[in-house]
Amino acid sequence: MEPDVSIETSCMIRVAVIPIGPIPTQLFRDYSSMLLPHHTVSLSSISSFYTEHQKSPFSHQPWDSGSLHFKFLLGSSPPSPWDDFQSHRKILSVIGISHCPSSPDLHSLSDLFASACKPYSSSLVHRCFAFSPGDSQLEDETHKGTNLILFPPADRQTQEFHLLTMMQDLAASLLMEFEKWVLRPESGGTIFKTPLDSQATLSSEEVIKAKKRRLGRAQKTIGDYSLLAGSPVDANAHYATALELARLTGDFFWYAGAMEGSVCALLIDRMGQKDPLLEDEVKYRYNSVILHYRKSFIQDNAQRVSPLSFELEATLKLARFLCRRELAKDVVELLTTAAEGGKSLIDASDRLILYIEIARLFGSLGYHRKAAFFSRQVAQLYLQQGNRLAAISAMQVLAMTTKAYRVQSRASIEHTSSKKETGPAPHDFGKVHQNLIVSLFESQWSTLQMVVLREILLSAVRAGDPLAAWSAAARLLRSYYPLITPAGQNGLASALANSAERLPSGTRCADPALPFIRLHSFPLHPSQVDIVKRNPGREDWWAGSAPSGPFIYTPFSKGEPNQSGKQELVWVVGEPVQVFVELANPCGFDVFVDSIYLSVHSQSFDAFPISVSLPANSSKVITLSGIPTKVGPLSIPGCIVHCFGVITEHFFKDVDNLLLGAAQGLVLSDPFRCCGSAKLKNVAVPAISVVPSLPLLVSHVVGGDGAVTLYEGEIRDVCISLANAGTVPVEQAHISLSGKNQDSVISISYETLQSSLPLKPGAQVTIPITLKAWQLSSVDPDPVSGKNVSAGSGRQVKDRSSPMLLIHYAGPMTNSGEPADVSVLPPGRRLVIPLNICVLQGMSFIKARLLSMEIPAHVGDSRQKMAQLESESTQLATGSERQADRFMKIDPYRGSWGLRFLELELSNPTDVVFEIGVSVQLENSESQDSSVDCSGTEFGYPKTRIDRDYTARVLIPLEHFKLPVLDGAFIVKDSHVNGTATSRSSSFSEKNTKAELNASIKTLISRIKVRWQSGRNSSGELNIKDAIQAALQSSVMDVLLPDPLTFGFRLAKNNLEHEVKRDSVEESDTQLQSSVHSSKVVAHNMTPMEVLVRNNTKEVIRISLSITCRDVAGQNCFEGEKATVLWTGVLNGINMEVPPLQEVKHSFSLYFLVPGEYTLLAAAVIDDANEILRARAKSNTSDEPIFCRGAPFHVQVSGTV
Amino acid sequence: MASTACFMIVSKNDIPIYEAEVGAAPRKEEAAHQHQFILHAALDIVQDLAWTTSAMFLKGIDRFNDLVVSVYVTAGLHTRLMLLHDSRNDDGIKSFFQEVHELYIKTLLNPLYLPGSRITSSHFDTKVRALARKYL
Repeated sequence: MEPDVSIETSCMIRVAVIPIGPIPTQLFRDYSSMLLPHHTVSLSSISSFYTEHQKSPFSHQPWDSGSLHFKFLLGSSPPSPWDDFQSHRKILSVIGISHCPSSPDLHSLSDLFASACKPYSSSLVHRCFAFSPGDSQLEDETHKGTNLILFPPADRQTQEFHLLTMMQDLAASLLMEFEKWVLRPESGGTIFKTPLDSQATLSSEEVIKAKKRRLGRAQKTIGDYSLLAGSPVDANAHYATALELARLTGDFFWYAGAMEGSVCALLIDRMGQKDPLLEDEVKYRYNSVILHYRKSFIQDNAQRVSPLSFELEATLKLARFLCRRELAKDVVELLTTAAEGGKSLIDASDRLILYIEIARLFGSLGYHRKAAFFSRQVAQLYLQQGNRLAAISAMQVLAMTTKAYRVQSRASIEHTSSKKETGPAPHDFGKVHQNLIVSLFESQWSTLQMVVLREILLSAVRAGDPLAAWSAAARLLRSYYPLITPAGQNGLASALANSAERLPSGTRCADPALPFIRLHSFPLHPSQVDIVKRNPGREDWWAGSAPSGPFIYTPFSKGEPNQSGKQELVWVVGEPVQVFVELANPCGFDVFVDSIYLSVHSQSFDAFPISVSLPANSSKVITLSGIPTKVGPLSIPGCIVHCFGVITEHFFKDVDNLLLGAAQGLVLSDPFRCCGSAKLKNVAVPAISVVPSLPLLVSHVVGGDGAVTLYEGEIRDVCISLANAGTVPVEQAHISLSGKNQDSVISISYETLQSSLPLKPGAQVTIPITLKAWQLSSVDPDPVSGKNVSAGSGRQVKDRSSPMLLIHYAGPMTNSGEPADVSVLPPGRRLVIPLNICVLQGMSFIKARLLSMEIPAHVGDSRQKMAQLESESTQLATGSERQADRFMKIDPYRGSWGLRFLELELSNPTDVVFEIGVSVQLENSESQDSSVDCSGTEFGYPKTRIDRDYTARVLIPLEHFKLPVLDGAFIVKDSHVNGTATSRSSSFSEKNTKAELNASIKTLISRIKVRWQSGRNSSGELNIKDAIQAALQSSVMDVLLPDPLTFGFRLAKNNLEHEVKRDSVEESDTQLQSSVHSSKVVAHNMTPMEVLVRNNTKEVIRISLSITCRDVAGQNCFEGEKATVLWTGVLNGINMEVPPLQEVKHSFSLYFLVPGEYTLLAAAVIDDANEILRARAKSNTSDEPIFCRGAPFHVQVSGTV
Repeated sequence: MASTACFMIVSKNDIPIYEAEVGAAPRKEEAAHQHQFILHAALDIVQDLAWTTSAMFLKGIDRFNDLVVSVYVTAGLHTRLMLLHDSRNDDGIKSFFQEVHELYIKTLLNPLYLPGSRITSSHFDTKVRALARKYL
């Protein structure tokens, strides 16, 4: 059997192309490739070379349309025993090809050629083409007359033209030879024999039969030559005769041969046009051909020779002729029959050819699986031959089947579909369609795939191709490890190792073996080197880089590219980056990865290789790092792995697909799962872009990076040093705060940073920051810190509640030298400096209380001091704005009614001593006035020392906070509660006044400052505003608002008696100075006195005043049986009108009968009280009399002067 | 009972979802591979043939070395029940296919079975082998 047969084969002239003399293989191939295009030479073109010596037997030669067909056979081929039967099997011409420079002697060359032609007995025309002759060779005339043809050196086109001419000459010569052959005395004498004919001595009967047959066979052979000469009409005529004769003589074999020839003639005549009628005709005739070949089967010599191969060849020819999609059914039937027939073929190589042809035909029909099946049969036949060349062939044939069985080497996939592969972006696979995933695992015929791979491995080993063996073993191991026993896995591992030994080191293979590698995660930038996109349009360029707005999804951002939820990663040139990948070795042997590093195809990344050892059935997450070296987008498709002696590239995508398949149950096993690795979410590969170098600030706290330990409320300065560790200066920088307890940072020296810009690489700047420790809240959400408040609370609190300094900084707006381009502004960076503040519990505030006190006035005892004080305060008052005070304030010696103190209870749970100092800031900003104000016993010291584990109370007087005027506005709230009538008038200013009131409370509170100090350098302030406010809230009215009326008593001045007065400084100026000498009220003496009534409101108040006097026992001294005081003047029911903010004086005289201490009391009933007064008095009904009582005044009455 | 028979169910995506050697001949690993190879190759022919006829049972569509491939194509999911056999008991094969088809439909009705995935039910396997003993 011959390969590559078709119906048209019958009209092809076989030409052997052989190398003559020494000639490099490559050159021989090159020269013969020039020859190959001339496989068809038209008759019209050879007419000039053709000379008709005698009348041509090919009378119907189509000179204008016909052509001669050549089939070039490179190298030698043994003569076939079937030469006589089919003339196209004969080698009818020999072309020698020689390379002149390597064969200088042309004469010997022609001799060489002549002897080379000897074996080709059937050859009719010989030519030797000698290429690239030298000048001397061109001049050499000795070869003239031989068949040697020199091709002078020229460009290829010229040479090809020259060759064409020579081929036309050859064709013409051949044609003439054919004519000669046909015209040879009728060719009748020749005996046409085939191996089929009996070799035994012919019986007489057979001799006669043979003679009869000879004629038919001769006709058939003439027909063959006519066909070769390109004259189908002549051929047909001869074939028709031959058919007739063969039929008569029962020479079925030759009948079939003639029939085949006639079909070929028919096709040549029709010049390749295919219509259904012709097809049917061909089909019909060929079926008869096949039938007759079958008929010619003779049982006797079946052992030796059989026409079966001709039958199969005819079948294949018909199949090839019909081989079209629409006729697939017929073709399949033919090929199946042929395959069946192949079983009885004697010659193994015939079967090989048959299967190859069947596979090819199935392949061209589009039946790839069928083609693969027969290819595998071919490979098996090759493998049976057991030599190395056959093994190589087997390996190559098997490699062709890998596509159908879907076990392709990645190298072959990349060849065919490299375009398609690179199409989609690397990060698109996250959304692979379900169908696509299924299609990825289509035809999971794992049994077959394993068999095929094993066969490839076997053939590669036999063929001595270590790389192919390695690749097959790698594919087998990687894809089918769950189906392979541990022993088999070890065998494959050793196959890998053995193959690798024979490979040069550094060999690359497209197919990855183990381990499985998947992307684990991309670590985000540590907060120290965070990269922030710069917004060129804004002063605060870092703003707006993060998505803003309350919605997670904004319709406006949808249209923007690069915004669809895709991660974007920015790497900086020259700064090392890390990627986590997970390796898995699901096999039963240890895998040692010599080196693994990230694979980046764009040469813009320096990856650092590491080596890993993976025990059997284990997985490991490793960090791969590298340094980007070029600006631009970067993609990391996978890893380069040097394992089992070969370098392979592992793509993340493949493993991801594998895992997807495993999740759907389409793949055998998830390599990571079976290694015990946790299920990982599909990691999308972010779009990585590399930006030019950025500045890099490194921070540390001066004096140690540890936590700053502060007591609650402590204030301390901290210095933070910033150094530029990058290669680009910092040109912009901005500090902001974030996190909890931001108010604990009191001040940041922004100017220091700004003034140090631009910060050159390597430069350093120190920024002072003032911190104030916050309060540890007692209701800490963290139960742990609540439990052990004193001991370890600071640590737990620190991490969550410390504020952070955010420093946004950026390099220059443009790179040096490049023109400014706003769109490619290099990004800025953000440095996050957590201020590790560890707050310890300090002074703890327990509670605040408001205390009120009644201190009786001792007129006589305090006279002198009082005078002094009065004068002092007068002096103070002259330059200041104490006018309001002067109206309202009393002398603290006298001010005994409702004196209020704020009592703060503080405890010290720590193990150090605290000192507390309270300061009250007065309105006129006379700070530290407390000592003066608190001239009573309680406020005599400036500082309170609280030892560890002790509790102390601090009193703060609240006297100076009284408002000067009782304004209706302040009690709107109260009056509103009281009645309907009041609310109407005052609802206007309700809001205002409320705010005013709150404001005044706030100012009151803010004026009280409690500072503490501990040790040498810890000091701070207690934050107890809320507590004070809570304490004051209930009685703030009483503290702030004055009574509507204040009463005072004094001795009348005309008697030069002492006077007791309230607060009227201008009067007391004169009076006190004039009355310093006499100090006592004496019994049995008429003492003129005055009562002063001051109206603190803005309206006139009409009152009915009464004065009473009580002795120490509390008995009324004016009335009753034992009245001890006589009086003149009116003491009861004194009706008077007090104008607003003014005093009214009422005089009377007392005559004390008994010396001792007496208490004078003034009281008044207010007539026609307005709402304000009512509200102040908290009266419930409108007609209730408003009673206003003054404070008690003590009068010391002495018995004698 | 046929001496050699290999039964496979091939899903729409050309993935084998069930395979069984149901022949009486002693099992040989090598032969099993060969059977699967033949069935795999026959898919090419089924693929064309299935659309030319309305019959579900396509008998003897392919053959290799005395082994014949018969196929039963289901209507809905284009699942192919393929049998490689050496006997010519057409009626038995047809009945076998019909019964296995019924079994397959029952498997499909299982809400936990994802169409197109491997049939791992041992019950199914037992039943198929019993049917093979009965009909082939």
